[in-house]
Amino acid sequence: MNCRECVEHLYEYLDREMTPDLEREIRAHLAHCPPCGEHHDFEALFLKFLHARCTTQGAPPVLRRRILEQLFDE
Amino acid sequence: MYRVALRLTANPADAEDLVQDAMLRAYRSWDRFTLGTNAKGWLLTILRNLFINEYRRRRRHPETVDLDTIEPFAVFEKVQEDPQGAFFDRIVDAEVLRAVDALPEVFREAVQLSDVEGLSYEEIAKVLDVPVGTVKSRLYRGRHMLQTKLYEYAVSMGYIKGRTT
Repeated sequence: MNCRECVEHLYEYLDREMTPDLEREIRAHLAHCPPCGEHHDFEALFLKFLHARCTTQGAPPVLRRRILEQLFDE
Repeated sequence: MYRVALRLTANPADAEDLVQDAMLRAYRSWDRFTLGTNAKGWLLTILRNLFINEYRRRRRHPETVDLDTIEPFAVFEKVQEDPQGAFFDRIVDAEVLRAVDALPEVFREAVQLSDVEGLSYEEIAKVLDVPVGTVKSRLYRGRHMLQTKLYEYAVSMGYIKGRTT
């Protein structure tokens, strides 16, 4: 595993969407390569930030009521 | 569902109607849902198909983007003054949502289903009806495009100095 391959697969690693073998290889590379480790931390922070900022918006309560009323009518 | 509808329709009134229609449709076809599979993914598939078939024809037109000309750069390489990404914290929610909305549709959908709604690659592939490899590449490019936009915004606001390379 070299740095280019590691960075290419970072998102899959962070999303926990890879085979156990590849995951082990990346983890081993990250442990021994400070620049890739920093890159990993940056991307992890970005994904956490994105999720936190985009989930503050919920459906308006009146919509819930409208839907429930409609389903009760069915 | 409302969040996804809002990003698809780009307007709250249409989003509410879309969610309501989708819920009704889901309720009526409940017998077609396979127990043990992800209900969220199933509902979002219904929502999205409804949007494509009914709403988009009436409203927002699909974008025509030459997907190959968009070359997102890796923001991480540019933020050596702030490798911990502290500048993200200074960006307000509304600006983040604006940046998500500004992504070309195929990337916005992938990013939203993954990073906002927390679906797995396989579930996203099912909702979008594309191979898992396509989900991966859209996420990779969509996320980088989003980082680029937010980074440029942070530079323009003076949150970070930015580098001209």
